[in-house]
Amino acid sequence: MLKPSLNDLIKSSFRSILKNKSRTILTSLGIIIGVTSVILLTSIGNGLKKYVTDQFDSLGANSIYISPGKVFNDNGGFAQGSMATMMMTSFTQKDFLALNRKLKGSVVMPVNAAYADIKSNQALKKQVEINGSIEEYGKNNNLLPSEGNGKWFTKEENDKKTPVVVLGYKIAQTLFPKSSAVGKKVVIKGKTLKVIGVTDQKGASMGGPSVDDTVYAPLTIVQDLSGKEDINAIVVKAPSKDLIESTKKEITDIMLDRYDKDAFSVFDSSQLLSSINSIINMLTIGLTGIAAISLVVGGIGIMNIMLVSVTERTREIGLRKAIGAYPRAILIQFLIEAVILSCIGGATGVLLGYLGTLAIKPFFPAQVTLSSVILAFGVSSLVGIIFGVAPARKASKLSPIEALRYE
Amino acid sequence: MTKSLSQNNSKVVLELKNVTKTYTTGNSQFNALDGVSLKIYQGEFVSITGPSGSGKSTLMHIIGLLDNPTSGEVLLEGNDVSKLKEHQLAQIRNITLGFVFQQFNLLAKTSSLENVLLPLLYSDIPKKSRSQIGIDLLTKVGLQDKLNNTPAQLSGGQQQRVAIARALVNNPKIILADEPTGNLDSKSGEEVMKFFHQLNEQEGRTIVFVTHDMDLAKQACRTIIIKDGKISEERQC
Repeated sequence: MLKPSLNDLIKSSFRSILKNKSRTILTSLGIIIGVTSVILLTSIGNGLKKYVTDQFDSLGANSIYISPGKVFNDNGGFAQGSMATMMMTSFTQKDFLALNRKLKGSVVMPVNAAYADIKSNQALKKQVEINGSIEEYGKNNNLLPSEGNGKWFTKEENDKKTPVVVLGYKIAQTLFPKSSAVGKKVVIKGKTLKVIGVTDQKGASMGGPSVDDTVYAPLTIVQDLSGKEDINAIVVKAPSKDLIESTKKEITDIMLDRYDKDAFSVFDSSQLLSSINSIINMLTIGLTGIAAISLVVGGIGIMNIMLVSVTERTREIGLRKAIGAYPRAILIQFLIEAVILSCIGGATGVLLGYLGTLAIKPFFPAQVTLSSVILAFGVSSLVGIIFGVAPARKASKLSPIEALRYE
Repeated sequence: MTKSLSQNNSKVVLELKNVTKTYTTGNSQFNALDGVSLKIYQGEFVSITGPSGSGKSTLMHIIGLLDNPTSGEVLLEGNDVSKLKEHQLAQIRNITLGFVFQQFNLLAKTSSLENVLLPLLYSDIPKKSRSQIGIDLLTKVGLQDKLNNTPAQLSGGQQQRVAIARALVNNPKIILADEPTGNLDSKSGEEVMKFFHQLNEQEGRTIVFVTHDMDLAKQACRTIIIKDGKISEERQC
């Protein structure tokens, strides 16, 4: 049986730790910082993943994207130089018509993006993304304005190159801060367009253009604005989730008749999502790993202080041994002290990490997960055990005579 | 004044048989103890004295089971304990010995009561009864109103009395005192010595105390004088 009991040991460890409050805080600081950053980084990573997933969901399910160039490599990651190849080539109206003719049951939507300044009689917004597509694009991407906010453009408006636009929520706010934008005029590249609708607010963005920051116009208008007849990408809405794979195959076959296999890519949002998530995962793991190094540094701090403490308390150890403490009792006592120190650090770190997450939540998607809390706390107690062993062994090996003689 | 004992009809508590302790430094060897044999009887008040470097501290460590002899036997109530392992010796110390040190060796920032109870942490005595044992002992040494005071709040004499209470808490067979008055003014020193005599006479406690002070050593009924690692003289009252 353990003498003294674990209860007594923990009590006496707490007491000796509390005798030196400021030292306890300073000693645990390394662990506190380590755990805080591990929690913060993982919660940012998790929040980011959730944000991306939500964004993809809001873009519409069952969507298949056809883009010029090779986007993915064979391992599912993004191909090298894919951005460059995407910029270099584009599709033509004929590609769209071919797909539209051959794909039964699917909605095929050409997409063209341009960047330009947009101004109203009240304000100017620079370098706005203008997305051009056909009528179906609005419905299939959940972009239709709700009651009272105007309407989406029609097939007729596209065919006739009617100069109309639908503004993203934030664009409308910027350009027309005082009144409703619907019915007003905006000017893009010298061309006057009528605002016929404003999309609903979709939520904060992380810097990149979001739905709220985008302007939508008929494809023909955007082609006019950019002066090109090309199509940047084609989005195909499969009839159902089960048919995504077969539709992708069909698309690939059609496209292979027209292009070389490296000249285009066909992918769906889950593929894109998993690629982005794997990047976020790598980043999170990498950053957390760096943060975890500070846990090790914190552990070394604890070892240092425990070694100092053993030297300082040489007489106490000698006395305890003289009156009957066997070596293992001393070993366990000092080990428990080290573990308590690191657990105090771990708990404080978890708390700070949680508070930190709450603090950045308004600006950045972040989410504390139970697994990261358990992991950080577990690792910090483990660090306490690992780095507590050396000082505790030193204490347990002191000879009672030497210890009592120590001045 | 100290209880006189006929050595023949009293039990031997501790016996040293031809004990040698050798320290090796580099190539040279040094015998701190050189063939020491002695018997300590139950209820005795023994003092060990000698000039510094004579080996009296080493002898005290052997008697206190804090150190193993290089050769020879140490018999505690007839059982040889000279070759036991550290953790076994720790347990025997916990049960049979009470230590009083020159430096008191109380835990700082810890109450008198907790200091007194410290040896019981490592014993089998049930937790419930511990506290009362400590209170009774502190009452006995006249510190019943200082139970919760820390050593820093006590005078030297009071601290040593807490230490004596701690030495008594496990009801030991032998109380070992190492220069117990060395850090005290003469008045407190006298009080402490008086208390040891009381323990010996009224309760029949076996007390072994080590001092370099010849006059103090003479207070004991039996005085063992050590010189160069050997017993040079034994005086009996």
